[in-house]
Amino acid sequence: MTHQEFLDQVDAYALGALEPAEARALEQHLGTEGPHPLCEAALARAHETVATLAADLKPVAPPAHVWEGIARGITRGEEPAPRAPAPQQTPPSSAPAAPRQPPRRRVPAWTYGIAAAAVVTMIVSGVQVRQSWRAAREVSASAAECRRELAEARIDVLRKEDALQLLTEPGTQLVSLKATPVAEGALAQGKGVVLFNPRGRALFLGKSFPAQTTKDYELWLIRDGKAIAARLLSAEADGRIFADVPPEVLKGGRPAQFAVSLERKGGTDVPTTVIFAGTVAPP
Amino acid sequence: MTRPAEDGTVLEAIRRGDARALEELYRRHSPRLYALLLRMLRETADAEEVLQETFIDAWRRATEYAVSRGSVEAWLITIARSRAIDRIRNRGARLRLVKQSEQLAPPETSAPEPPDVHAQTRLRRAMGSLPAEQRRALELAYWDGMSQSEISRETGDPLGTVKTRVRLGLQRLAELLAG
Repeated sequence: MTHQEFLDQVDAYALGALEPAEARALEQHLGTEGPHPLCEAALARAHETVATLAADLKPVAPPAHVWEGIARGITRGEEPAPRAPAPQQTPPSSAPAAPRQPPRRRVPAWTYGIAAAAVVTMIVSGVQVRQSWRAAREVSASAAECRRELAEARIDVLRKEDALQLLTEPGTQLVSLKATPVAEGALAQGKGVVLFNPRGRALFLGKSFPAQTTKDYELWLIRDGKAIAARLLSAEADGRIFADVPPEVLKGGRPAQFAVSLERKGGTDVPTTVIFAGTVAPP
Repeated sequence: MTRPAEDGTVLEAIRRGDARALEELYRRHSPRLYALLLRMLRETADAEEVLQETFIDAWRRATEYAVSRGSVEAWLITIARSRAIDRIRNRGARLRLVKQSEQLAPPETSAPEPPDVHAQTRLRRAMGSLPAEQRRALELAYWDGMSQSEISRETGDPLGTVKTRVRLGLQRLAELLAG
C-alpha cells in the first residue's frame, strides 16, 4: 500500500467503515512498513474528528454494576500487558540481624592487595561515572536532535517517494513554472514544478521560495480562461514547498496552466501578482 | 478533546498497574462512552457489556496507546466503537434498520456532568453545513456501524461515490471543527 492509498482511506478506517481486509491492509501499512509521520498524523486527525462526533450526545451515567464487572475483570489477572520490567529491588541497607555470626576465618595477606586495588578502582570509577553521566546527558541531547532530524528526513523521503510514484504513473506530466517579469530579486530565484496527472492528482514542488511573513503564496489553475484558487502555499525555512492540490479543484477538467501568485495573507479570489506560471501540455 | 494532559498522566499510572487510575479514567469517560454505545447498539445490556470490554481492553492495552495517534478520549472511543461495530455486524438481524422514530431512548439517568454545549453547537453547525449526502454517509457509518459497501447497498449509490462522500465529509468536518 502506498502512502497516498493510506491517506485516501484513513478517514473511512477511523470511522470503522472499511471492510475487514481493507482495514487490515491499512494496519499492516502502519505496523510493518516502518513509521510514517504523515500517515500517523492523518490517522490521529481522523480519530479526533470521529471522536468529536460523539460530542452531541448527552452523557449518561452507567449503572454501578458496570464498573464492578470491570473491577472483577482486571483483578482476574488481566494486568496491563506488556508491562515495563520492574526495577530491580535493591536489598535494604540495614538487613535484619542474623541470629548467629559465622565463625571468622583468617584472611590471607594477598587479599589486602586486592582490596586496595579495588578501592583505587572505585575512586577512578567514581570519576569515570561522573564523566559518563555528563557524556550521557550530551548524548541524550544529541539523540533528541538526531530523532528530530530523522523525523524530518523521513517526511522528506516520504514526500519524494510520493512525488516519484506520481511521476511514474501513466499520464503524469511535469509542468515547469517559469518566473514572470513581475518576479524580482529573491522571488525570481524560486523554482516550481507541478506534477499533474489528468486522473485527478497534482503535486506542487517548489524550492528557493523566500519565506513570507505578511503575504501568502497562492496556487492557481487556469481553466477556460478563468483562474481557480487551488490552495495557499507555505514555504518551509529552507525555501521548499511541497503541496498536494486538492482533488476537488482538479475535477472540473484539464487545466491550461498552473500559476503561483503572491497575495495578501489568506489569499484572494482573483490573482493579483502572478510570479510563476507554466502551461499544461495538451493530451 | 478534553483534559489531554491529565488523561495522559492517568494512563501512565494505568500502565504501572494502578487500578485506581483506571477507575478515574472510567469516571471521566464512561458517561459519554455509555451514551455513544446506547445510541449505536440500542440495547442497554449490549451497551453495558461493550463498555466493560472497552475499559478492560484499555487496561490491558494501555502500553499500546501512543499520544501521536490522538487523545486518550479518541483512543477510548475508537476501542468502544470498534467493539460495538463488531457486535452490530455479528447480529443476525440488523437493529439499525429500526426506523429513527423507533430508536430506543437512552435510559432516564441523571447526567453526571453537563454536556459540552460549545462543542455540541460547533458540531451541529459543522454537520449542518455538510452536503446532505455526505452527512448521511457519515451518520450511517458512525451510528449504524455500516461499512462503505453496506452504505452503498443501503442508499443505492455507487461504492466509489460513497467512498468519496465519506472521505470528503470527514475531511470537511475536520476543517470546520478546527476553524
